[in-house]
Amino acid sequence: MFAEKVIELLKESERNPDTIDPFKDEKIRQILEEMQTLFIMNMNDANATTENKSLWTTVQVRHSALERNKRCLLAYLYSRMEKIKTLRWEFGSVLPPDVRELLSDDEYEWFSRYSTNLASYMRSLGQDIGYSGIDLTENLRPPKALYMEVVCTTDYGKLELSDGDVVMLRRNSRHFLPAAECQTLVRQGVLKQIV
Amino acid sequence: MSCSNYLSITDILVSHEKVPCKFFYDLPKMGFLDPSAVDDDLKAGTNTEIPLWLAESLHSRRPPLLSVDLPKIYKDAYREILNADACTVDLYKLGQHFYELGCYVAKYDIKGDVTNTLINTFKQRFRMLLTASASNDSIGSMQPLSGSERKFAAAAAVTENAISMWLQRGDCALKTANMVANHRKRKRAEMEMF
Repeated sequence: MFAEKVIELLKESERNPDTIDPFKDEKIRQILEEMQTLFIMNMNDANATTENKSLWTTVQVRHSALERNKRCLLAYLYSRMEKIKTLRWEFGSVLPPDVRELLSDDEYEWFSRYSTNLASYMRSLGQDIGYSGIDLTENLRPPKALYMEVVCTTDYGKLELSDGDVVMLRRNSRHFLPAAECQTLVRQGVLKQIV
Repeated sequence: MSCSNYLSITDILVSHEKVPCKFFYDLPKMGFLDPSAVDDDLKAGTNTEIPLWLAESLHSRRPPLLSVDLPKIYKDAYREILNADACTVDLYKLGQHFYELGCYVAKYDIKGDVTNTLINTFKQRFRMLLTASASNDSIGSMQPLSGSERKFAAAAAVTENAISMWLQRGDCALKTANMVANHRKRKRAEMEMF
C-alpha cells in the first residue's frame, strides 16, 4: 500500500507531542525513494497511454499517492519546526548538546537564524523611548517579589550576578537570589523555586 | 481535501482510515489495492477498502473513478445503537477518530442521517466528557473516549487548573518549562533502560 512509511513517521511524532524526537533521515530517504519510484513508473505509463487509454486511471492513483506523500512529509517537517520554536523559548539560545543532536543540520541552522531574528527583535523593542530592548522570555508571570528562594537541582557552577557577586550553584544548595537573575535558570530546570 | 489543515497530523491520521469503495473503471497494475485479488489488474466493479485520502482524491476526478460507501460504524446498525444510548459505546475501540472521520464521510450519505447521528452522539456524551475531565480516576474515565474527546477532556482539566490558580491570585511557584521537563524525564527513562 502507498504512503505507509510516512504514516509510521507521523505516528511516532504524534505519540510524543511534548518532546522532540531524533530527526529520522534514514526513513525520510526511504520515503523519497518511494516517491521517486512512483514518479518514474508514472512517467513510463503516461508515455504509454497513447496505445493503452486505460492506463490513465493508474496514473491518477499514483499521482494521488505522490501528493499524499508530499503532504505527509511537509506536515512532519512543519510539526518539528513548531517544536524547534518552542525549544528557543524554553531552553534559551544555547541548546544543551543532547538536544542539539536531535536536530538535523538544516534544522539547526533554522534554529540559529530564528534565534538571531528573535534576539534582534527583542533588542529593538523600546529603543525609541530610550530602553535598550527587553527580554520577552523573562517575566512570563508578573513577579510577586524582587527576591526568591531557590534550591539547585544540578551542579551548575558559578553564576555571576549583575552587581558583581558570584554565587556557586551546587546540587541541593539553597539560595536567596534576585528574581530577575534566576528566572531563566528556573525555566531551564537548573533551579527550583521554594514557596 | 480542505487546505486549512493541510499540515495537521491529526487530519492526516484521520484520512488514513479505510473506507469501502466500488471502482467504476479498470485499474491496470493496481491489483494490490484489493487484498483478495489474484490478478495484477483491478477490474471495474470491484468492492474493496482503501484509505480515505485515496478514495477522496479519486472520487473528485472527472469522471469519478469510484464511489465511496459508508464505513460500517456509520451504517444503520451502529447508528441505532448510538442514537439509543451513545454513552455505553467505547468510541476509542469503535473508531479513534469517530467525529472527524464522520465529518468526511457525511457528504457521501445523501439522506443526511450521519450528520444528525454525529451531533446527537456528542450531545449525549457531553456530560460524560465533563465527568471525565473532573475525575481523579483519569485512566478509567478516559478509556471510552475517542481521540478528540480525550483532547477536550485534557484541555478542560488544564483550564480548570488555570482558573483555580488565578483564584489564588497567581501566587504560585515558577515552574520548569514544559519541554525541558519532558526532555529530562525521557532522558532518565532511557538511562534506566541500559
